[in-house]
Amino acid sequence: PWSFPGAPSLAMTAAGPSVFLLMVNGQVESAQFPEYDDLYCKYCFVYGQDWAPTAGLEEGISQITSKSQDVRRVLVWNFPIDVTFKSTNPYGWPQIVLSVYGPDVFGNDVVRGYGAVHVPFSPGRHKRTIPMFVPESTSKLQKFTSWFMGRRPEYTDPKVVAQGEGREVTRVRSQGFVTLLFNVVTKDMRKLGYDTGPPDTQGTSGPSPPQGIPR
Amino acid sequence: MAEVHVIGQIMGATGFSESSLFCKWGVHTGAAWKLLSGVREGQTQVDTPQVGDMAYWSHPIDLHFATKGLQGWPRLHLQVWSQDSFGRCQLAGYGFCHVPSSPGTHQLDCPTWRPLGSWREQLARAFVGGGPQLLHGDAIYSGADRYRLHTAAGGIVRLELGLLLRHFDRYGVE
Repeated sequence: PWSFPGAPSLAMTAAGPSVFLLMVNGQVESAQFPEYDDLYCKYCFVYGQDWAPTAGLEEGISQITSKSQDVRRVLVWNFPIDVTFKSTNPYGWPQIVLSVYGPDVFGNDVVRGYGAVHVPFSPGRHKRTIPMFVPESTSKLQKFTSWFMGRRPEYTDPKVVAQGEGREVTRVRSQGFVTLLFNVVTKDMRKLGYDTGPPDTQGTSGPSPPQGIPR
Repeated sequence: MAEVHVIGQIMGATGFSESSLFCKWGVHTGAAWKLLSGVREGQTQVDTPQVGDMAYWSHPIDLHFATKGLQGWPRLHLQVWSQDSFGRCQLAGYGFCHVPSSPGTHQLDCPTWRPLGSWREQLARAFVGGGPQLLHGDAIYSGADRYRLHTAAGGIVRLELGLLLRHFDRYGVE
């Protein structure tokens, strides 16, 4: 099935397709970080071994945005996402990993949050608000030193955020939210026998930010 | 064989009196089920929320089961623990919920409970911490022998689980 990489539709044999396609487009819409300003975000996709991107961009860096001057105090990126994957197995369903960075008091670029969410799998429009967290040092001295030197604890590879293993030794602090919008189209999943449930045209999910932070 | 994919996240927990929380989770299935890919159990990171009172874990769950029967539908069992600044862990609640049985994305709120001991143990827990814990984890998701327990409510664990079913219509399941 991998012998026609650019044209998956030609891989259909008389028995039916063996590969299905997932097309995701949308945007990293906005963020709510009560304590931080002048932020930019990076996104990348993490997926299992049976998945491969066929079109679009797997990663990107957004512009730097500041909080609006009005009462809403929102940080808006409106940063486009457009990628298509092909796969033989839903295991390892792609996740989007977001990392948000901003300047600290001394002007260094420090990480303000990591977050990850699975790309929704029912076709349609979905809004997801995900919490963002940073790794935290346990000792007070280390917290002061990292604040002073501008070298905060961060993950060497942000893709770690999409994995479950090895998390039990990390302490984190959740300090903001990012809202994402997805439009999902799948091809040939039903022909392969998969039932993804009802198309969800009004999907809005994720934690609501606590009171005082307008959505 | 029919296949089930459970793809989602343990989002976080709210309503607990302690704030630095983590969760140990596991999935229990019947004999007809076989785990083809994914890890069956794990532990989330410890989160101390800075905004609001909900601790967020965003712990990914990606499981691929093959099954020959409907009995023993997967159950997700959870243990929520709190960790203080000294690194000591205290039980905050046990809970379980069945993995949803209809395909699509579901928001689940799993309530939790913790065992109450005698009045002495409750007093000790208020001052020193600790408190009774279950010896065998299977009381969390099975009903046998529950009548011996006296428990109090803990907070709620929020999960978002998506379910993908394959070939269920071949076996006549609606």
